[in-house]
Amino acid sequence: MKFRLNAMEAAGAVMVLSLVTVAILAPWLAPFDPTRAVANTFGDPGSPSHMFPLGTDQLGRDVLSRIIYGARISLIVGVAAMAVTMTIGVTIGLASGFFGGAIDFVLMRFTDVMLTLPALLLAMAFVAVLRPSIWSILLVIGLVSWTQIARVVRAEALTMTQRDFVTAARALGAPSSRLIARHVMPNVMPIIVVMAVLGVSGTLLLDAGLSFLTLGVPPPTPSWGRMIEEATTYFRTAPWLAIFPGLAIFYAVLGFNLLGYGFLRRRRRAGSALQ
Amino acid sequence: MTLTQRGAHRAADRAINARCAAIHRPVIAIAFTVAVVLALSGCRSGAPPLRFPPGAMVLNLAAISDVPTLDPAAGYDVESWMFEQMIFDTLVRYSDAGVDLVPDLATSWESSPDATVFTFHLRRAARFTNGRTVTSADFKYAIERVLDPATRSKGMEYYRGIAGAADFIAHRAKSVAGIATPDPWTIAFHLAARDPIFLQKLAMPFAAAVPREAVEKWGEDFSRHVVGSGPFMLRQWLGGQRIVVVKNPDYFIKRVPRLDAVVESIGVSDDLQWFKFEAGEIDVSNIPPAVFPYVMKTPRLRDLTLRIVTVTTRYLGMNCQMPPFTDDRVRRAFNYAVNKPKLIAVLNGRGIVANGVMPPGLPGYDPHLTGYSYDPARARQLLEQAGLGRGFEATLWMPADQTMMILGQSIQQDLDLVGVHLMLKAVAFAPFLEAIRQPKTVPLFFSGWEADFPDPANFLDVLLSRKQWGGNNDAFFSDPRVEALLAEAAPLSDLARRYAIYREAERIVVSDAPWVFLYYPITYEIQQPWVHGYVLNPMRPARLENVWLSPHPAS
Repeated sequence: MKFRLNAMEAAGAVMVLSLVTVAILAPWLAPFDPTRAVANTFGDPGSPSHMFPLGTDQLGRDVLSRIIYGARISLIVGVAAMAVTMTIGVTIGLASGFFGGAIDFVLMRFTDVMLTLPALLLAMAFVAVLRPSIWSILLVIGLVSWTQIARVVRAEALTMTQRDFVTAARALGAPSSRLIARHVMPNVMPIIVVMAVLGVSGTLLLDAGLSFLTLGVPPPTPSWGRMIEEATTYFRTAPWLAIFPGLAIFYAVLGFNLLGYGFLRRRRRAGSALQ
Repeated sequence: MTLTQRGAHRAADRAINARCAAIHRPVIAIAFTVAVVLALSGCRSGAPPLRFPPGAMVLNLAAISDVPTLDPAAGYDVESWMFEQMIFDTLVRYSDAGVDLVPDLATSWESSPDATVFTFHLRRAARFTNGRTVTSADFKYAIERVLDPATRSKGMEYYRGIAGAADFIAHRAKSVAGIATPDPWTIAFHLAARDPIFLQKLAMPFAAAVPREAVEKWGEDFSRHVVGSGPFMLRQWLGGQRIVVVKNPDYFIKRVPRLDAVVESIGVSDDLQWFKFEAGEIDVSNIPPAVFPYVMKTPRLRDLTLRIVTVTTRYLGMNCQMPPFTDDRVRRAFNYAVNKPKLIAVLNGRGIVANGVMPPGLPGYDPHLTGYSYDPARARQLLEQAGLGRGFEATLWMPADQTMMILGQSIQQDLDLVGVHLMLKAVAFAPFLEAIRQPKTVPLFFSGWEADFPDPANFLDVLLSRKQWGGNNDAFFSDPRVEALLAEAAPLSDLARRYAIYREAERIVVSDAPWVFLYYPITYEIQQPWVHGYVLNPMRPARLENVWLSPHPAS
């Protein structure tokens, strides 16, 4: 079977790949050092010009360079935090769905409790305790956003566990670890991939939100959320300071969402073909 | 006081001034949620609408947090003092726009040649709003109440110097022997030792006259049922919603106050205040950072702003006991490395470059003092002499706040140019304050000091003397020459000599550079075109008794 991308996947893949490229090539693409003052626009942000296409901020830094470097932080945080999220969510979901009974009950009630807490508020509380650094941000985002994954993975695992091939493997004496690793997990994988890709956009937004609340990666490392936060003083006089990083966040979130929904659509089609 | 404690509600550069408000972001967020819930539930029950007779002159204000207290013995913050100075009278007070003392309930006063006895002569026409005449006994009672440990007043320390205060505090005496009231119109204070700023202490709201009968009747609840002799009296205080004071018709100055009432809506953030101001709902407003540049670029609005240089200094403290700041060359290098005019630009002009310890509004300020210019080459040279030519890493502790973080990043850029890699450590205010007071814990920190009294001692003694280690001398600075000069100047009441000695001490401090002297902040507020007579004070909340309003759309 030939692997063909649908339109959504293609658009999403192009957007995500372009982001990854920008992030990797940041030192070569960015016209200036993102932390240095390159224009004398202190307290009076410079509007977009030939030399600074996206303007300069109140500390004389080039906005374009900051957005380019900001892609690094956003992608690292987005993807790594998603890895943390996945690890927690998949573990809890699989255990809950596969073993069922008391384990399921305890894990799912715990998940329910976590679901009732607003993610951003919880993340703020965690960061306040842990002190902001890139590692604590990753950990915190992972800790507050695994619940959805766990619910979905549990549901999938639950149906898989009751399928005949799992029962057959169990009858042949396969231990739980083998059942999970060889039979349940591979069949849950597609939904995990979809959830992960869709989830990256969520973590990107959470990271931007935390940065906006000055709880993100500490300065001078450029981050899109913090750029918007620092632009609040100039919303009325220099709106481009907030608009461009906002567009960057929009682009990244849209890219991951398109890719994710593209995968989801493929899966649904495949599902309907089977039935 | 350390800025953030009291500065919480100071007007315009509050983004920085109001560390305490801005620092605990998560806490604030939670508090905000709670406040919203409360506000919503408040809406449902509905605050009774305010009714004033047609044509009444009502000044509308707004503030984010409720007035903590109206009891003069308890209040120690800008918001409480603003209302306390409307409701109560002290013997002397600061003039509307300055830090000079003018008569309030005392018509005249004299001090003994050795500055240990102060005698005041009172007005005979002043009455509490319960109808009783204010006498010298009411002032004596007020100060004894502050000194009484049972009151737990934060103002206690200011009046310990009165003769007999120690005995009174220890319950060995029924009254303070050093306060004499020979007749109802005369009160004399005998001090245990010279105190050149005793008058200023009497100008604090702690020393305002309170009627014993009302205090004893209400006890802990006095704050909600205050009775004073000031130009206004409390009409209504709906916790968390609004506070209303109305004109005291019996105020001892005729035709004062000119306003019929002052209404302050509570729970209104700076940003919301701005919208209310634009809608004409409030008459005087803070200017939130998010609109400050816009206001300054719009001539119509800029003309409505009020500006005052507060008696405040902001600085980077360098812990003189922690390497590399044990080396004065490094400390001087930092002073040359930080681009202060750039900081002022980043603040949109809300500051004046600092040359030294004492701000311009402080009596004794030295206009001829030259500080450190911006000279990165000189800074690099000094660092090389100190053996740090290859650069090093340093951590700057600061309260977590938007404006602070921007200033911190500006300093980060500057130091990067001389090879110092600066890390910013944003900390909530309470742990920040605790940490900087520990010896050898915080090498570099962003701090500030706002005057309690208009006197050099309030800066030099409080912030830079050896006895304040672990207190307010968080740079752990100590210099024998400075100590000697401070001791020499402290008891002097000859102001010219007093100031000359403090200036000498300041020059030594500046050359030893325990701080990077940053800037003296400027506060801005904005008033509607129909507000008249509203003036900002460099050290205290604005007084409202001479404010009046011309006819305007909202009235």
